[in-house]
Amino acid sequence: MPTLTIDGKEVTVQAGTTIMRAARQAGVSIPHFCFHPLLSVAGNCRMCLVEVAETRRPVISCVQPVREGMVVKTDSEMVRKGCKTVIEYLLVNHPLDCPVCDQGGECDLQDFAMKYGLDHTRFREKKRQAQNYDLGPLTETEMNRCVHCTRCVRFCTEVAGVEEMGAVNRGYHTQVGPYIEKPLTSELSGNLAEVCPVGALNNKPFHFQARSWELKHAAGVCAHCAVGCQIRVDHLGNQVKRVMAGRCDAINQMWLCDKGRFAYDGLTQERLDAPLVRSESTGGLREVTWAVALDRAAELLKKFRAEEIAGLASDAAQGAEELFAFQDFMRRVVGSANLDHRLRQRDFSGDEQPLGRADLLMNTPLVDLARADVILLVGADPRYEAPLLNVRLRQATRAGAQSFAVHPRRMEANLVNLTQIVVHPGEEVAFLEGLLREVSAEGEASGLSPLATAWRAAKRPVLLLGEYAVNHPQAEIIRRLSVALLERVGALGPEWNGFNRVAGRSNAAAAQDMGVVPHRGPGYQSLDRRGHHAEHILRLAARGEIKVLLLLGCDPGLEAVDTRLGREALAKCRVIYIGAYQTPAALQADVVLPGLTSTERNATLTNAEGRAQQSALAVMGPLQAKEDWRIFRALSDRFAKQLPYNSREELLGRMAEADRRYAVTADGAVLPKACDHGPVTVDLPLTAPAGSKGAGLVLVLESPFYQDDAITRRSAILGKLTQGRSAGLGMVRIHPQEAVQLKLQAGQKVRLVCGERKLECTVGVDANVPMGVVYGHREHAPVLLQDMCDWGGGFPQVSLVGL
Amino acid sequence: MTQIIYKNIHLENSHTLAVYLANGGYTALEKALGMTDLEVIEEVKISNIRGRGGAGFPAGEKWGSMPKDQRSNRVVCNADEGEPGTCKDRVILTQDPHMLIEGMVICGYAARAHQGYIYIRGEFYREAERLQAAIDEAYAAGYLGDNVLGKGFCFHLAVHRGAGAYVCGERSALIESLEGKKGQPRLKPPRPGIVGLYGEPTVVNNVETLAAVPGIITHGGAWYFNLGVPNSSGTKLFSVSGHVNKPGNYEVELGVPLKVLLEEYAGGVRGGWDNLKGVIPGGSSVPILPKEVCETVTMDYDALKKAGTNLGSGAVIVLDRSVCIVRAMARLCHFYRHESCGRCSPCREGSSWVTQIVDRLENGQGRPGDVDLLMDLANEAGPLGLTICALGEGVVNPVRGAIKAFREEFEYHVTHGRCMVA
Repeated sequence: MPTLTIDGKEVTVQAGTTIMRAARQAGVSIPHFCFHPLLSVAGNCRMCLVEVAETRRPVISCVQPVREGMVVKTDSEMVRKGCKTVIEYLLVNHPLDCPVCDQGGECDLQDFAMKYGLDHTRFREKKRQAQNYDLGPLTETEMNRCVHCTRCVRFCTEVAGVEEMGAVNRGYHTQVGPYIEKPLTSELSGNLAEVCPVGALNNKPFHFQARSWELKHAAGVCAHCAVGCQIRVDHLGNQVKRVMAGRCDAINQMWLCDKGRFAYDGLTQERLDAPLVRSESTGGLREVTWAVALDRAAELLKKFRAEEIAGLASDAAQGAEELFAFQDFMRRVVGSANLDHRLRQRDFSGDEQPLGRADLLMNTPLVDLARADVILLVGADPRYEAPLLNVRLRQATRAGAQSFAVHPRRMEANLVNLTQIVVHPGEEVAFLEGLLREVSAEGEASGLSPLATAWRAAKRPVLLLGEYAVNHPQAEIIRRLSVALLERVGALGPEWNGFNRVAGRSNAAAAQDMGVVPHRGPGYQSLDRRGHHAEHILRLAARGEIKVLLLLGCDPGLEAVDTRLGREALAKCRVIYIGAYQTPAALQADVVLPGLTSTERNATLTNAEGRAQQSALAVMGPLQAKEDWRIFRALSDRFAKQLPYNSREELLGRMAEADRRYAVTADGAVLPKACDHGPVTVDLPLTAPAGSKGAGLVLVLESPFYQDDAITRRSAILGKLTQGRSAGLGMVRIHPQEAVQLKLQAGQKVRLVCGERKLECTVGVDANVPMGVVYGHREHAPVLLQDMCDWGGGFPQVSLVGL
Repeated sequence: MTQIIYKNIHLENSHTLAVYLANGGYTALEKALGMTDLEVIEEVKISNIRGRGGAGFPAGEKWGSMPKDQRSNRVVCNADEGEPGTCKDRVILTQDPHMLIEGMVICGYAARAHQGYIYIRGEFYREAERLQAAIDEAYAAGYLGDNVLGKGFCFHLAVHRGAGAYVCGERSALIESLEGKKGQPRLKPPRPGIVGLYGEPTVVNNVETLAAVPGIITHGGAWYFNLGVPNSSGTKLFSVSGHVNKPGNYEVELGVPLKVLLEEYAGGVRGGWDNLKGVIPGGSSVPILPKEVCETVTMDYDALKKAGTNLGSGAVIVLDRSVCIVRAMARLCHFYRHESCGRCSPCREGSSWVTQIVDRLENGQGRPGDVDLLMDLANEAGPLGLTICALGEGVVNPVRGAIKAFREEFEYHVTHGRCMVA
């Protein structure tokens, strides 16, 4: 561990550390352009030069490793002279357009030119003209401003895993850009504008929207997937202008995915901005005062018996506060245990076991994922389900981890050397059982599959259950087999626990913690009285046995496994809708109580690691909308029992009583611990219920990446993105060979038939889809493919008929 | 006149194995394989031969610093002879390729390498063909292969043609290019001796350096050391070009007076010695020497350094009084601007800036202050070591040298808008 002196400060660092990193450790800032703490060293801008005692020439600090006793000066005559020269060279071909440049005010070149540069230019020649590119709807280019630091190139190659940017031509004519001009496809492309130290790559939707110094910042948490990235919400005049990645080494480092970054324009679209009540005379919704609306809602709830009332909550973008208040209201005030948030889940058999937090969330902190040596994705497509989690997995594979995926189709993954094992839907259990047998075989078993061989030798294995596995008809047995696989290799211990279940949307973890499930209360406490789960609630509602549905931000007609059932239930029931958006369910409700959405209130969001993070208010919501938990509080005033909290602090106190992990520290700034939960439940029976196997094509649905919750569906920016897992929106995809056999053409209208369920849509071909499988997107109106799914009936077997 | 490297080139079919063997070929290899690798390195160290590519780093030291553990060291021959004015290696490649091959096998033995590569510039198509033919002959005769001369030493050799980039003559850019990447220099540290080709320790030597090795082994390091002058031992190939009566390649002991080289070997300056304007003594990237210095300077590392220039690759470019120095510099600047790889900012931007100013001067659009600005740019960028490789200095060094020696000609271009020579 060499010790060196930087500007008089002594610092001891790991051997092999560069001067630049040692200086950052010592709190000394060295100017730089090409250096980026999370990217490889390029050493090409030459800005970070320092003076090292007893050397004649300046030393490039991002390249030079430290030596014992080194004496470094970062502000000597030699350094200032060198920096002046480098800045002058960088500026000779840089346009003087700071007044119209989006980077102005937060530009490294501007700052260092002020600090080191001349006050005039000695360059009186012709400036170079660079070519601009159309990089799609997210990134604006102004390549004349490029300083050729190649951060964007390295970001694409190393982090995003898609080699979309490069430096072509040579010398003076070097041009950074896409090799072939086309829109960027990476789900992380928005970071390019952030890594660019100058104004060459800009945030296109933010282009000319505001000057950086006018913006106010709020520290938020992204509400669009279960990773819970920290974000900085930049706002001006009560409008969110842009979202930037927050800095959090433990979660998102310095990155953010495009969905999280660009969903903000959906926040203000199609909002519910006043309480509404269905008019007895006209049948339409009319605006009323809060008092009238609350009275009407209370009246509805009191009219029926408690067991005739059920509540369904969304697990996306809802704060833990409203989830807690929701279940509290249902259980204590209404007296009903019929509540759930798992509208997308098919298999509820896990509810029979007293599963804990460790069984339902991640057990490997995100940071540790990068240290994994074998990765097994079971029904998970992390690149499009949790992009920043995928970044960690990619780090692990870049460092040599072996990776395998068991999925019903080939994924567009960017893990290095990912082995994709395509398993026909419904045969996952058999596959995992076989794998478990291979892994459990005594001694030096021969003829093992590469996966089993790798798994047996794994020291730090990671198994990830994703959207497909969690919403699988046999989800619970898949989960148990996964636990067993990890147990066989001793990977469920306190030092290394490789079991990771990433379920649902952004706040599914809080919904579990807060007890928005029918079988247990907040803090995983068991209850005497169980209610009905989501599937039963909707079946009973459609049969008229449940009479009132209280919806918190969710729409069973759009999000449920079986949307036809969801719509039948909505039609049959009296509906009280609490939420922020004009969803079809809201427009069909009897009472509509407008709530707030993310960025409009202080809220607790719990990510898949189980960190309960605080997201701060950035802008005010519509005038009449209220924080959702306050709506429940106000509603409870009309009942015999009231909810016992009048401020957010009191509510948080109650939440912390129920679950200690929700205790907020004095300043709220400390990042809660990851995976702060007990051991995974082991030794559960592994007998699988027989899977159904039919003759037709199996219909499998997945969420479109860019349009998968109430906010993103309303975002015009994200609406322009139809790539990655949003490709082929509005159609079903089959293998090209299948299309030939069925005599179907891509783009042709077809009829999907499954028993008496029928649906018309367009067919597309996709070589990633295997034979015997039809792939489509869920939750994409107007053609709702979930209409084909019978909740209890496993994967639908469909036939395709050309029209 | 001692001829070590060019001793065979005048013979008929000198490129064939038969002729090479008839003239003592591959005896040095046999001798070297009878020694230990450390003894071979010691012999090369004693000879004090310095790298002939331009940097002048002692070859023995380079070989000696190679790791002795079980890593797979590599030997790379830099045959990317791209420095304007230099054409010495080409003669070796075409007329005596076996001498290079022999030198490489010995180098490989000394550096504990089992694989060598010859990176030959893309324009040398026929040269590459002839080299490959020689390598095939050497394989057939057992001078290359799994068991060289039956002594249990394994050494393989491959030829790789470059794609025409000057910067690939820089050793780390050469390695990048050899690996199939864009030819751009690497960051140092680590130097190629520690992390080189495919991440393995790599010796990179010039063709001339390697071709001198068989002679050193045959005659002994001490014999070679006594040739030339102190600190500049042995013979050097000089490519004399420009305004001399007999331009060509000359193998001469180091320390020869420049005047002797030009007047006695190269047939004299065109129009007589007094018609001399200046000499670029080591390839186009080194500063020019005015006539007064040329009168006395000797061609060795130390004397030229003292004169403010460099021995470089040994390309002696002679300019007589008909030459407009501004025009000559403009021509050079264009070359370096074109060849700058664009990786680091000072070279990418500076090479073009300097070129634009020199161009303006040449075109009669000079402005007062231009010459000072050029000098400032040369002084700020050159010696500061801001660039990754030496190419950046290659742009400004000649300009700085030319302004130092012929400032009045530059000023004349500013004040008169035309040349004072023609």
